[in-house]
Amino acid sequence: METLIQVIVSGLTLGAMYAVGTIGLSLVWAALGMLNMAHGVLLAIGGYVSYTLATLWGLPPFLGLLASIVAGAIMGAALYYASVRRLNRHPAFEMNVIIATFGLSVAGENAILKIFGGYPYAQPFKAEGGFRLGGVHVPWHNLLIVGVAAVIMLVIAMVLSRTYTGRAIRATAQDREAARLMGVRVGAVFAQVLAIGGALAGLSGVLLSSITTLSPQVGFDPMLKAFIICVIAGLGNVAGALYMAFALGFFEAVIQFVIGVRFALPLMLLLVIVALIWRPYGVFGREDVSRL
Amino acid sequence: MMARRDLIIGLVILAVAIALPFTGMSRYFVSQITLLFIWATVVTQWNLVLGVAGIFSLAQMAIFAFGGYSTAMIGLYLEWNLWAAMPISAAVSVIVGLLIGLACLRLTGAYVALLTLSISVALFVLIVTDTDCIRYEGAVCRSLTEGWRGLGRFGDFGFRDWLGGRDYLKGNYYLALVLLAIATAGSILVVRSRVGLAFKALRDNRLYAASRGVSRFKYQLLVFAYSAFFTGLAGSVYAGNFTVIGPNILQLPLLLLLLSMLVIGGSGTIWGPLAGSVLLMVIDEILKEGIIQEYRTLILGVLLALFVMYLPGGVVGTLEVGLARLLQRWRSWSGSSAGNLDGGGEGRA
Repeated sequence: METLIQVIVSGLTLGAMYAVGTIGLSLVWAALGMLNMAHGVLLAIGGYVSYTLATLWGLPPFLGLLASIVAGAIMGAALYYASVRRLNRHPAFEMNVIIATFGLSVAGENAILKIFGGYPYAQPFKAEGGFRLGGVHVPWHNLLIVGVAAVIMLVIAMVLSRTYTGRAIRATAQDREAARLMGVRVGAVFAQVLAIGGALAGLSGVLLSSITTLSPQVGFDPMLKAFIICVIAGLGNVAGALYMAFALGFFEAVIQFVIGVRFALPLMLLLVIVALIWRPYGVFGREDVSRL
Repeated sequence: MMARRDLIIGLVILAVAIALPFTGMSRYFVSQITLLFIWATVVTQWNLVLGVAGIFSLAQMAIFAFGGYSTAMIGLYLEWNLWAAMPISAAVSVIVGLLIGLACLRLTGAYVALLTLSISVALFVLIVTDTDCIRYEGAVCRSLTEGWRGLGRFGDFGFRDWLGGRDYLKGNYYLALVLLAIATAGSILVVRSRVGLAFKALRDNRLYAASRGVSRFKYQLLVFAYSAFFTGLAGSVYAGNFTVIGPNILQLPLLLLLLSMLVIGGSGTIWGPLAGSVLLMVIDEILKEGIIQEYRTLILGVLLALFVMYLPGGVVGTLEVGLARLLQRWRSWSGSSAGNLDGGGEGRA
């Protein structure tokens, strides 16, 4: 019984963490058709901004969290104006944007390493204490992450379905040319979506590094897991990605208890390969039908 | 005509490469150029998959690692000669390449990139966390892959006994050169053949290609197997050359360096990978000097992004387009050929 509760608690926490890390990535893919390999660095930037403000400058951790969100948004928009806008003119956009963001992400990681060093820090934004559930210690912080994940999902869903910006984003996602003809400023939508994705990454970076520790590579592993989740769910399917995040969170928690942490990623990959052979466009994805 | 041009370029490069060690260059440069040959072999093979067949695979270094680790393990555990280990390593790499090709068979674009990147990260994690003892050296526990430390003391290609301690590096140098020459010649033949046309057809429009009866199943597996063969051999030569092999070959900075070689040289062109390898090794060598070396990865990353943004054809691709345009302008100016309206030239060979 205790083991079961333990697995459920850690599965839920992992799932919420993955959901938080995945949602920005998935949104950017859905709206812009671009895979943002710099997502992991945006996560790290979020974590380090919070650390700088709260630990180094002694500001309240809550302000650090807000600053991380703002910094993530600025970096996301900067990514558009510095690189994506230019890449968008070339027909091989899908491949080139992966290469460019990969280069920028390795460069960004190196820059963080130069500024802060490789020493792992503790993230100041953290809820203390916890409660006992059937003999298992459940930290408040884990509940906070699950709660934040739920709130983000709701807010994003509201923005996408209820606001003008959300309609413009969905129109751009459906058909870029048609959206442009209807008067949507597609360039601005690109910048907005990357800014939202960056803001979400900044927030996730703080939450993720508060459970593990803060290091320049902190974003890479969550990004890879987010990729896997997006691929299984079908790239760009935000709701599907959230279900998958929790499913994989539980999957990983079970594997950790049964076989050991070491095999979590390889087994996840095996699952992905099997899933993709079964459904190449993702479990929740739709087959894309092309006209010649 | 094209084939003759490639032959001439290839022979000139080969002649220079054969002559280089006789110019009395330092041992350091001999070993750096040996490494250049190994990376260039990997990059020409990667170019077949990524540039020519248009499959965005990032698993090239995983295949390379399989080749290298097979050689090391055969040398260490079976105590075979490394020459005998080479064909087996190549076979292992081909099997791994085929499996990866099979796994990505139904995927396109970004999905392939994600899956193959995850495969190489998973391999890295498995090696680094490998701590189960399979044998003891005295009281020291040794695992199958020896984790972070990597494998060593599995022997070499025997050049040290044959050529002596002073010249054995040249033995490795020429071995790597032979591999690069065969791999490059082979990839040119493939690109210029009907099979190469099928690869390009699937890259440019896989639906049109399919409707013309080009089987994606057959050609995707073929390109993965073919490129895995030489990539695995390159891994094998790497292991024998350095006499150690570790998980560092699977880390991102090296992947970045090789991807930069491919993209900056000109992905999809014939001489781009080689030109890119030389260019990037020179840049890398310059970046190793003084204070700038700390920012080596940073500069490489930004350089790669800038190239994709402003010269997506790479150095060779851009030069080819530029040359074709110049030639066309000159022809229309001299009026010798009026019907030369094919435009653009061959951006991607």
